[in-house]
Amino acid sequence: MTLAASAISTPTASLRPDWPFVAAPVVATALLCALVLIDGQPRSAALVIAGFALGVAFLKAEFSFTAAWRRFLVTGEAGGLLAALLLIGVAALVIVPVAALGLGFGGAIAPLGPSLVVGAFVFGIGMQLGNGCGSGTLYTAGGGSGRMLVTLLFFIVGSVVGSLHLPFFLALGGIDPILASDYLGPWGGLAVTLVSLAAAALVIAMVARRRGANFTPSRTLVVGAIVIGALAVAAFLAGGHPWSVTFGFTVWGGKIATLLGFDLSGAEFWQWPGPKRALAESVLTDTSSLTDFGMIFGAMAAAAAAHPYARAKWPALGSLLAAAVGGLLMGWGARIGFGCNIGAFLGGVASGSLHGWVWFLAALAGCTIGIRLRPLFGLAKV
Amino acid sequence: MRLVYAIVFVVGFAAIIADHLGSPSSGRAVSPEDFAGACAPCGAPCPSAKK
Repeated sequence: MTLAASAISTPTASLRPDWPFVAAPVVATALLCALVLIDGQPRSAALVIAGFALGVAFLKAEFSFTAAWRRFLVTGEAGGLLAALLLIGVAALVIVPVAALGLGFGGAIAPLGPSLVVGAFVFGIGMQLGNGCGSGTLYTAGGGSGRMLVTLLFFIVGSVVGSLHLPFFLALGGIDPILASDYLGPWGGLAVTLVSLAAAALVIAMVARRRGANFTPSRTLVVGAIVIGALAVAAFLAGGHPWSVTFGFTVWGGKIATLLGFDLSGAEFWQWPGPKRALAESVLTDTSSLTDFGMIFGAMAAAAAAHPYARAKWPALGSLLAAAVGGLLMGWGARIGFGCNIGAFLGGVASGSLHGWVWFLAALAGCTIGIRLRPLFGLAKV
Repeated sequence: MRLVYAIVFVVGFAAIIADHLGSPSSGRAVSPEDFAGACAPCGAPCPSAKK
C-alpha cells in the first residue's frame, strides 16, 4: 500500500459508510452535470461522470504510478509499472486510430526539446516527494489524505509559476511533435505503438528478473488497468482529446491569482488562445477541469462508502514539507514538460507520439533523485 | 482533518459555482489543443511556427 493510500485507510475504524461524505460528492457531481446540461453540453456531463468513475477506479485499485515507479527503481519489482503499460495499451487501441482518422478527434502531442526533458525530470523528482503524480494527487486528496491536499495546493501554485517560465524554455529550441500515425497511417501507427509498449514491457520484465524481483501485476492491478484504460477512452471520446489533468490546475491557479490581484494578461502563456480562453471563461468549459472535479468527487464518495472519511491524523511536519516541495516541483515540471503521467505519458504514448516515451525516461530519471531525497523529509525510500 | 475537508469541500464547490455563474460560457468544453497552432496539451505553439 502506498503512503498516501495508507493515510486514507483507517483499518481500525468500522466499515460503515460515512453517509454525509458519500452524499456530498454525489450531489455535487449531479449539480455540475445539471449546470453543463443547462448549457446544452452533454459531452461536458460525460466528462464529469468519466472523471467520477476514474476516481472510484483509481481508489479501489490503489493504482499508483508513483509507488510503482519507486518500487521498480528501488527493488526491481515491476508489476505496477507493467500494469501502467497495459493501461496505456488499452487506451491506445482506440486513441491512435481514431485521432489519426480525424473525425473531430486529436491526439496528445508535444514538441521534443529541452522544455520536455527538463520539465519531466523535475516532475519525476516532485512525484516522489509529493507521493503522487497528477492523477494520484487527485484521487488521494479526494480520498481523504490531508497530506495530499497540501500536495494539490502547491501543485496548483507550481503550475502557475511554470506557466510564466514555459515560453523561456520553448525559446531554447526543439522540434515539432513526431506522431507514428503521420508516417504510418492509423493502423501502422497503432502497430508501432503496441510494439513499443511490448518492447518496453519486455525490457522492464528482464530487469526485474535479473534483480530477482516479481514482475507479475496483481489481479487487482490488471483489472484496474483495463477499467482505467477504458475510462481514459471514454474521456477521449467525450472531450475530443486524450484525458489530461494538470492544465486544469493551471487554470484554477490562474483564476485564483487573478482574484488576488495578479495581472496575468501580459504573460505570454496566457496570451495563447487556449489558456486565454480558459482564464476568461467558466471553469466548466475546460475539459481537464471537468474530469478533475469528477475524479476528486468520485474518490471521495468511494472512500467514504468504505469507512469513516478522513479520520487519519495529520502526518509529521517533514512529510507535509515534502508534500509542499513535491507539489511545487510537479506543478512547475508539468507545465514546462507538457503534462504529467496522464497528459504526457499515457496521452502521449497512447496517441503514438514520441514525446510520451521521452517524458517517461526523463521522469524516471528524476524519480531516482526524488527517491534519494525522500529520507531528508523522513519518508521511506520504498 | 475531517473538519478541514468539510470546509475545503464547501469553499471549493462554492468557488466552482461562483466562477461558472460569473463567467461567460461560449459553448462546448474545449482543450487548448483545439485551437489553431497549438502543439501541446497546454496550447503551446510548435517550434516550427516560431522560426
